[in-house]
Amino acid sequence: MTGSDSDGGGVADGAILLRFADAVLADDVAELAAAREVIAKSMGGAALADTAGVVALFNAIDRVADATGIPLEEPKAAATADFRAAIGIDEFTAAGEKGI
Amino acid sequence: MTKINYTDLAWPVRDDVTAAQRRNWDRLGRPGTWLTGAERITVAAEARNAGNCALCRARKEALSPYGVEGSHDHLGALAELEVEQIHRICTDPGRLSRAWHQGLRDGGMAEERYVEITGVIATIVAIDTFTEGLGLDPWPLPQAQAGAPSRARPTAAKQQMAWVSTLSPEDAKGTADEDIYGGRPVVGHIVQAMSLVPEEVRGFFDIVTKQYLPPAAMMDFDNEYRAINHAQIELIAGRVSALNQCVY
Repeated sequence: MTGSDSDGGGVADGAILLRFADAVLADDVAELAAAREVIAKSMGGAALADTAGVVALFNAIDRVADATGIPLEEPKAAATADFRAAIGIDEFTAAGEKGI
Repeated sequence: MTKINYTDLAWPVRDDVTAAQRRNWDRLGRPGTWLTGAERITVAAEARNAGNCALCRARKEALSPYGVEGSHDHLGALAELEVEQIHRICTDPGRLSRAWHQGLRDGGMAEERYVEITGVIATIVAIDTFTEGLGLDPWPLPQAQAGAPSRARPTAAKQQMAWVSTLSPEDAKGTADEDIYGGRPVVGHIVQAMSLVPEEVRGFFDIVTKQYLPPAAMMDFDNEYRAINHAQIELIAGRVSALNQCVY
């Protein structure tokens, strides 16, 4: 989910959605304004508002997960083991802390 | 009194999102379970201030945050342990560790306060990041309301799967807090994470179900519930979590 994203992960409008998420978390005001306009123009204002909602929610929920030390559920861990290793998630500091 | 309102915005914010944010903004200033209304507002203010802390910036840039010592730039209204909790969760959540959490506990941090503070942080981050995304200034914090915290700890909460004590869905059955799981026998760990303070689960998941999706909609791929589809929602969620280095 990081790195080169020109194809947006194969998701419709994925590239511009990722650009917006990156700009929000980078606190880059100018880039964020540009990213916002692109989404509003090509996907519509309602899509922009819902996108902002999801970015904001996950920026918060990640903190709940990390602050409380909850582990990944075993079925999810087993089902995602291959691609977590492939894309480098297992290298995150938190992975060791969560028993992954 | 602050009333969250997006009607003047060029882009339509759904009414249920606005309503959930209003309920939680109001809740920020009310007496909580372990914190007074004034303390909750102070925590929210400190969470907003964390981004201005030089120590946090230095730690964020360091290979390990534990190799950088110093004092936080803070507002002076909270104990050092609570400032450390708030700043680390706000500025470098992906590198929190069990040892760091245990250090706070060994220093005298009560786990009930720790969980409620985490809930306040989650609320302010969910709403402040939303306004930032839409190019708005953050809403002024609400006024603190008088009153004492309820100090109600779920009697069946126990240390089991997280760093903090939690209330399992099975143990919640037949208790006053059964509602936090909506009658579901199995729920994700994230729903249980703050269950030591059920009011934080109720409040935060009021926002979760509006800004993200309600449980029944998450796996209902035959229908779309937002102006962006399931794939787009999960793409964004995954990206944000990757940037935060959250493995959950």
